[in-house]
Amino acid sequence: MYQSFIGLEIHIHLDAETKAFCGCKAHFGDEENTNVCPVCMGFPGVLPTLNEKAIQMSYTVARALNCKLSPNTKFERKNYFYPDMPKNYQISQFAEPVGRDGYIDIEIGDSIKRVRIHDVHFEEDAGKMIHAGDMSLLDYNRAGYPLLEIVTEPDLVIGEDAEAFLKSFRRLVRYLGVCDGNMEEGSMRCDANVSINLKGAGLGEKVEIKNLNSSRFVRKALNYEIERQSGMMDEGKAVVQETRLWNENRDQSEPMRKKEDANDYRYFPEPDLPPFRPSEEFMQDVENSLCEMPLVRKQRLMNSYGLSSDQAEYIHEEKYMADFFEQAVFSGAEAVQVYSWLSSDVKKLLNRTGLSLEDCPLSAERLAKLISMIGDGQISGKIAKKVLDYIFDEDKDPETICNEKKLVQISDPTAIGKIVEDVLAAHAQVVEDIKAGDARQMGFLVGQVMKASGGNAAPPVVQSVLKEKVLG
Amino acid sequence: MEISDLTVTATLASLVLDEAETQKLGDEVSRMLSYFEKMSEIDVDGLEPTTHALQKENRLRDDRRLSNEAQPDELLECAPDLEDRFILIPNVL
Repeated sequence: MYQSFIGLEIHIHLDAETKAFCGCKAHFGDEENTNVCPVCMGFPGVLPTLNEKAIQMSYTVARALNCKLSPNTKFERKNYFYPDMPKNYQISQFAEPVGRDGYIDIEIGDSIKRVRIHDVHFEEDAGKMIHAGDMSLLDYNRAGYPLLEIVTEPDLVIGEDAEAFLKSFRRLVRYLGVCDGNMEEGSMRCDANVSINLKGAGLGEKVEIKNLNSSRFVRKALNYEIERQSGMMDEGKAVVQETRLWNENRDQSEPMRKKEDANDYRYFPEPDLPPFRPSEEFMQDVENSLCEMPLVRKQRLMNSYGLSSDQAEYIHEEKYMADFFEQAVFSGAEAVQVYSWLSSDVKKLLNRTGLSLEDCPLSAERLAKLISMIGDGQISGKIAKKVLDYIFDEDKDPETICNEKKLVQISDPTAIGKIVEDVLAAHAQVVEDIKAGDARQMGFLVGQVMKASGGNAAPPVVQSVLKEKVLG
Repeated sequence: MEISDLTVTATLASLVLDEAETQKLGDEVSRMLSYFEKMSEIDVDGLEPTTHALQKENRLRDDRRLSNEAQPDELLECAPDLEDRFILIPNVL
């Protein structure tokens, strides 16, 4: 009976070396107030200067979100009094943002949904505050950090949509290499607004929800809020426009401030920063920094390599993994085999060693070689797992490891025949039992032969030789 | 200018005004606003607003760390109160 509308405001930290408007290091975790200078601490008489890499990343994101890019982007002062910004305004964009009127296609369940992007604008982050007792503590290391805000149109319907959007968006910025997308550490943050109304009656009163530190909280908070507002509508109460905070401990949203005393930010053009007019060369660099979008890549992984949706989902999650996958297939390995190794044994080893695929000793070529050695019968799948361990330990090629460790599959029936005869001689009673009809004991003998061969015998050959020798 | 407009503006600027000041500023601000009204009379239809009249080229900075003459410690000395390296102020939450 009701219809819900959800829009998101996502902030990402741009992965630049320095801050947006000064040459201070943009880095977290350093000692408080060490990455500061007169510009980001708002001392009088300073002059901000735009960080070229940060504005280029901004255009890249806007371009990837299919926005109309501004040929003449402008900066404004957003005025407010709060000690997280010592100069009493934040440099942001208002009239002429980097990009507007874009869209992104995302996958929600089995369907593809197009979400419109209202605008993408560049701004600076505020400092960090800790409130303790009757004092507040200020750290300006984060003040001036280059920040990009992406505002969607209210095209999402339920919490699950918003969660899916955030996951897709996070993947996108990681593909583009502009942000690590870490919500726990605050390098990606999300505020949401939600309204409900009777079907067909358009948008309702907008409630904004803040403090959503993970995509899971976004889902829970929005679904909670839709329920809350539906309940109010059922009772004939009016939903008021307000900002609410998500309380993750109580699983509920709580009022923060009513909109009637909302800030009037009195935006006006930043006199210290001239507009930025991207040159043709700059726009070419932006084009060059784009890559195949994650969703397109996923679909291509399914169509070109025959992966299932779930398999492609796993492989395309990280751009490096998708590149690795394709490189291994290009080197001759079968796609599904590569997927299986990446999603099981390789994943386990990465977890155990704490390494990422990027900086571990396994290359796509090494994995492809390993898989081809199994295919050729040089080594068994079991030996291959050992070889993989050695690759991680010793950083060597699979052939080298097999030669050095004598990890070669024994598939010569004569050689296996000798081992089989020793095993049969040692277990004469079992042989008698099998001859008498107890076929279950055959597995025991296979195990004994494998053990005697140090795990190197080819299981199919062992089985056929055993059968021949025991049953004649 | 309406006195209520002035009060709102003063609040936004975090200014506390007593009645005499409100009266005095009200007159002054009204006069200033009338200058802007005068400017508003000019027909600017079809003109794109200009924020920076003399800009010839972009002003950009390489994404490279710069050392500063003013050291962070010197800047912190300007703060009214410190706790370790934090700037300490009355609770504003």
